Amino acid sequence: MTPPSWLKHPRHYLFLKIFVWFWITVLATITLLVFLSQLTSNVGSDNLRGPMLKNLQYTAKSIERIVAKHGKSTQEVLSHPRFSKHKLLYLNGDVHGVEMLSEPISKNIDLSLLNFTKYMSPQIIFTDEYQAYGPIELNVPEGKFYLYEIDEKRKKPFFVSLWLMPTWLKLLIALIASLMLSFFFSRNLIAPINSLKETAKKLANGNLAARADVSSTRQDELGVLGRDFNAMAIQLEQLITAQKRLLADISHELRSPLTRLKMATGLAQMQADDTQQAYLERIEKEANQLDKMIADVLQVSRLEAKSQTLSLSTQSLQVIVDHVLNDAQFEAKQSNKVLRVNGALKTDIRCDETLIASALENVLRNAIKYAEHTISINLEESDAIYMTICDDGKGVDEANLARLCEPFFRQEHARDRNTGGTGLGLAIAKNAISAHDGTLTLENQENGGLCVNIRLPLKSQ
Amino acid sequence: MKLLMIDDDTGLCELLSEYLTAQGFTVDCFHDGAEGLKQALQYNYELILLDVMLPSMDGFEVLKQLRQHKLTPVIMLTAKGEDFDRIFGLELGADDYIAKPFNHRELLARVKAITRRIEHINSLSNQHSNSLSVNSININFATREASVNDNILSLTGTEYEILAMLVDHAGEVISKEQISEQVLGRRLAPFDRSIDMHVSNIRKKIAEHVNNERIKTIRGSGYVLIQGE
Repeated sequence: MTPPSWLKHPRHYLFLKIFVWFWITVLATITLLVFLSQLTSNVGSDNLRGPMLKNLQYTAKSIERIVAKHGKSTQEVLSHPRFSKHKLLYLNGDVHGVEMLSEPISKNIDLSLLNFTKYMSPQIIFTDEYQAYGPIELNVPEGKFYLYEIDEKRKKPFFVSLWLMPTWLKLLIALIASLMLSFFFSRNLIAPINSLKETAKKLANGNLAARADVSSTRQDELGVLGRDFNAMAIQLEQLITAQKRLLADISHELRSPLTRLKMATGLAQMQADDTQQAYLERIEKEANQLDKMIADVLQVSRLEAKSQTLSLSTQSLQVIVDHVLNDAQFEAKQSNKVLRVNGALKTDIRCDETLIASALENVLRNAIKYAEHTISINLEESDAIYMTICDDGKGVDEANLARLCEPFFRQEHARDRNTGGTGLGLAIAKNAISAHDGTLTLENQENGGLCVNIRLPLKSQ
Repeated sequence: MKLLMIDDDTGLCELLSEYLTAQGFTVDCFHDGAEGLKQALQYNYELILLDVMLPSMDGFEVLKQLRQHKLTPVIMLTAKGEDFDRIFGLELGADDYIAKPFNHRELLARVKAITRRIEHINSLSNQHSNSLSVNSININFATREASVNDNILSLTGTEYEILAMLVDHAGEVISKEQISEQVLGRRLAPFDRSIDMHVSNIRKKIAEHVNNERIKTIRGSGYVLIQGE
C-alpha cells in the first residue's frame, strides 16, 4: 500500500497547510477559552520538579528533625536564622486556621489563597503578589502541616505575567494576533490566485506576453499551478507566433513564384491569339487577386506583430479622409449607392497617413459592399476623434460581431466570394487603428445595418 | 539600350530579360550583389534594375557604393508593403522603385519613362547647349549638370530632372503630380512619398554649399524654387 501523497512530502501540500493552520486556530481558540475560565481565580500553578522540590523536601525534613531532636517548638525552629534568613517559609496546618511563618509579612500578601492547594502535589503557585513553592507534608508535635516557601520578589515568568494580564488586554492581543495570522495566511493563498486570474484575463484579451507572478521557490499546489500556467502561456504564445510567422513566411515565399508567373503571363500575352488572350487575361486577374491577398496577409501580420515601422507625420486628418472619400464616392456611385458625410475634422494628428487611409478605405469598401442604398459617415471631434461609418444593410449576427475583425472570417460564404474581398479588410483596419493607439469597434444599428466606430486619440504633438 | 538587372531570382531574370529583349532592350543579368556592382561600375548601362534582397551584398549597399562613382539611373525592386525599403532606397539615391510582384506592363512603363527622358535630354543638349541660372543655382542642359556657386552637385538622374524642372519654372508652384508625370513618367499615387524623398535629397545636396533654403514646400500643392535671395 502506498502512503497518501501528502505524507510523502508534507510541506508541499496545500491540504496539509490548510489543515495545520486550521488546527492552530482551533487550538488557539481553546487555549484562549481556558485562559478566560482561569481568570476568575488569580492563581496559576505548575508542577514543582527538580532541585527546587528536593530543596523544599530537605527543608521539611530538617525542620522535623530539629524539632524532634532539640525539643523546641516548631515556631522557634522556623524563626531560626538558618531558615528565616534567606527565605520566607510558611506552614499551613491541617486544621483550618492554624498557620506559622518564619517571619512576619506585609499585609497585602494573601496567603489564604494557598488553602486550596494543600492537598495537591508540590507546585509552583503563581498569584498576583507572590510565588509559592509547595506543599510538602510535615509532621511535628503540633500536628500535621504543609510547608510552602514564599517568594515575594521573584519576577513572574513570561507566561504567568501573560496569564495574569487584564482580560481586555488578553482579548485584544488574541484578536490582533488571530487577525494578522488570518490576514497573512489568506493573502498567501489568495495573491497567486489573483495573479493567475489577472493573467488569464490578459491572455484572453490577446496579450500573449502576459505571465502570472509566481515565486519560483513556492512549492505548494499554487506554486506548481502558477508555473504550469506560465508554461502553458509560453507554449500558447509560441504556437500562435509560429502560426502567424508561418502565414507570413508562406506569403512572403509565394511572392517570387507569383512574380515569375506574372512575368510569364506577360510573355505569353505578347504572342497569343484572341482566344488565348482571354484566358491569359483571366490568369493575370487571378494572379493579381493572389497578389492582393498576399499583400494583405503580410500587412496584417506585420501590424499584429507590431513590426511595422510607422512613418509618422503631422497630418490634417480631414485631408486624408477626403482623399479616401473621393475614391469611395466614385465606387458607391458605380453600384448606385449614396455616401452621406456629416461633420468635419479640424485637428491635425500625428499618424501614418498610408495606414489610416488604408483602414478607412477598407471600412468604407466593406460598408459600400453591404449597404442597400446609403452609407453614412459621421466625423466628430471632442476628447478624441470619432469616425462612425454605418451602412443600411442586413447587419451582422451579434455572435459574429467580435469575430468579424479576424483574418479570413466570413459570415456568409456564398456571397462574399463573389464580391471579391480578401477577407482581411477589417483585420487590416482594426490593426492599423490599434497601431495608432485607437480603437475600432463594431455594432449593429437598431434598424439593421452595421456601424464601425473608430476612435483615435488626439495626441499632443 | 543596355540594361543591367541584379536579382538573385534566376527564373525571374530569364523571363524578364526575354520580355525586355522583345521590347528592344539588351539585358545583362547578375545574381550576386558584389558581382553586379562590379559590372555596373565597369560598363555604362542606361538603367539598372536592382533587387533589395541579394546574396553577398544587399541592394542598398550596392546602390550606396554605385552612387559614390556613378549616377546611372536605378530602379529598386522592393517587396510590396515594405515602406521602409522604398523610402530608404530613394534616400540613397534610387531614381524610382517598383514593388514585387510587379506588373510587367508597369515595369516596362517605368523603364521607358526613364530611358525616354535620357534620350530626350540627350537630344535637347544636342539642340541647344545653353544653361540656366536662377538664385545661384546653375543648370547646364548640355552636360546635365547642376551647380551651386560653381560647386557641382552630384545629383541622380531623377534629382537632376526635378531640380531642372523647378529652375526652369522658378517662382512658380510646381505640383507633385506635375513632377511625377514629367519626371517619373507616371501618375502620382495617393500618399506616394517618392517625390518628397527626391526633393529632400536635392535640398540636402544644395545645403552642403549654401545656407539659405532654395526650394520651398507649399503644403498641399507642391514645391517652388525661390527666385531671389
